[in-house]
Amino acid sequence: MAAVHGDAHGHEHDDHHPSGIMRWITTTNHKDIGTMYLWFSFAMFLTGGTLALGIRAELFQPGIQILQPELFNQFTTLHGLIMVFGAIMPAFVGFANWQVPLMIGAPDMAFARMNNWSFWLLIPAATLLVSSFFLPGGAAAGGWTFYPPLSTQGGLGVDFMIFAVHILGASSIMGSINIITTILNMRAPGMTLMKMPMFVWTWLITAYLLVLVMPVLAGTVTMLLTDRHFGTSFFNAAGGGDPVMFQHIFWFFGHPEVYIMILPSFGIVSEVIPTFSRKPLFGYSSMVYATASIAILSCVVWAHHMFTAGMPAVGQLFFMYATMLIAVPTGVKVFNWTATMWRGSMSFETPMLFSIGFIFLFVIGGFSGVICAIVPIDIQVQDTYYVIAHFHYVLVSGSLFALFAGAYYWIPKWTGRMYNETLGKAHFWLSMFFFNLTFFVQHFLGLAGMPRRIPDYNLQFADFNMISSIGAFGFGMTQLLFLYVMINCIRSGEKAPQKPWDGATTLEWTHLPTPAPYHSFEKPPVVQ
Amino acid sequence: MDNSTVGKQRKATIWQVAKAVMFAFMGIRKKSDLENDAATLKPAQLIVGGIIGGVLFVISIMLLVRLIVS
Ligand code: HEM
Ligand SMILES: [Cu+2]
Repeated sequence: MAAVHGDAHGHEHDDHHPSGIMRWITTTNHKDIGTMYLWFSFAMFLTGGTLALGIRAELFQPGIQILQPELFNQFTTLHGLIMVFGAIMPAFVGFANWQVPLMIGAPDMAFARMNNWSFWLLIPAATLLVSSFFLPGGAAAGGWTFYPPLSTQGGLGVDFMIFAVHILGASSIMGSINIITTILNMRAPGMTLMKMPMFVWTWLITAYLLVLVMPVLAGTVTMLLTDRHFGTSFFNAAGGGDPVMFQHIFWFFGHPEVYIMILPSFGIVSEVIPTFSRKPLFGYSSMVYATASIAILSCVVWAHHMFTAGMPAVGQLFFMYATMLIAVPTGVKVFNWTATMWRGSMSFETPMLFSIGFIFLFVIGGFSGVICAIVPIDIQVQDTYYVIAHFHYVLVSGSLFALFAGAYYWIPKWTGRMYNETLGKAHFWLSMFFFNLTFFVQHFLGLAGMPRRIPDYNLQFADFNMISSIGAFGFGMTQLLFLYVMINCIRSGEKAPQKPWDGATTLEWTHLPTPAPYHSFEKPPVVQ
Repeated sequence: MDNSTVGKQRKATIWQVAKAVMFAFMGIRKKSDLENDAATLKPAQLIVGGIIGGVLFVISIMLLVRLIVS
């Protein structure tokens, strides 16, 4: 069944695309667009990473050495915005573009031209964000959550940010409509919903969440815009508005957003772990149900970000209980991954290492989340480095590690070449070491009371900050190794066999040659 | 689960929908039950069931919380 029609049929079309720059500007091919998404997000990852290193350089020692407070605030704000909207989210969309059609046996995405448009919208948005540093007054500086009054008072940089968020939101909504339509309508015959690979399921649910909450974000920033320029007072107490209302609306978007950034990584890990355990995913059906319930529950917990903003006790208890209940389906998933590995014949190639690292560190992040969800504790740790530690455990060692796992796992299929296993493993172990060096100590800093978003701090925090900064620079350099491994693989890696991972069972491995031809599944495969 | 049920598409009872939603909230489901769900439940039923389940979930936590603070 190897190389069914791809070789015989696909090759004649292989070069049916414009070459040079026009290929990329006009392309409607899901693989080209996926590739562009991935390179874009990696570029943004390095940009956001540079900002992070600026932050950590300033925090290396107490006192102000490198960044003045105004610029420091711009760095933290743009670091958050660029990482969330420019790096993590587009990276997952890149994976969806490449993998969803390949895994469900579809020839392309449903709306191929809209797909092109959703990608190219990212470029002006990123340009707006990055160029805002050079405006008079600099970039937005009110934090990635852009709470008023800071965001109603800021300069032109805030307007650039608002416009960028609008564009990114439009891009995400189009991308998710595309993904939903592709998954619901273009599955190969025999691929019922309950036979879909877990990665496809998690993206389907994520796409629904995106369609639900991105318009809320767009609404929020529009209200900010009218408050800033058109005389409304949605968030201005002096005009009868309420700044706390902003927080409610923002987090109604914001909490589902954090699940938007984690559900697809659950999907990637749920593909990688069965492959390298050579066993089917334990409790597939539970996984589907757990993902759906996480998505639903994530819409009723938002105010756990606002426990200190002033809230009746009833509200605090409600959001505390609801948040803690989210840990139940999340725990089910961790249990299922562990059970998948149990007595499997495991091997530890780089994708598997990143997935196991993911489980291990994501659990730590989940636990610190539950701790933050306990109101009396959160009143102590809110806006301290403890929260920073929490969300970097779920976002860096969660989402980002899963992205690495996915990149190593699928790069042979994408390029037809193998990456260097030794260097991949080195990338994993160095990332693991430096990540924990950077962020584990931030738990201690937070518990000791160091506030977040400050350029200077008291002397008692000096040691841990120095350790954290050293870790951050190590982590940053390690990611250049990743870039090297990938480029090395693309240019001169060994030729990959059709199925380099013997445990892989999904369509892209069983029914397509390696590398996947430019046009695949023109005739849909029949599942079973 | 595709054609085995085409002829005898049984109507799902409310109890069945409720059970599926309840298990979804816990995130646990037996394979055989899932296949049964997939065969008998329509997506629209599940979506409505899920929304009702979500509302009930919110109401029950509200009641619990009120009980505690009263
Ligand atoms: C077990 C699941 C989780 C629980 C119980 C939880 C709980 C919380 C709580 C209570 C806070 C607010 C802390 C504060 O500001 O004082 C918080 C913050 C945060 N969480 Fe989680 N969380 C969970 C999982 C996640 C995941 C999976 C992600 C992302 C992938 C995430 C990302 C974030 C972010 C970004 C913030 C900080 C937002 C900010 O203030 O800038 N969390 N979490
Ligand atoms: Cu949250």
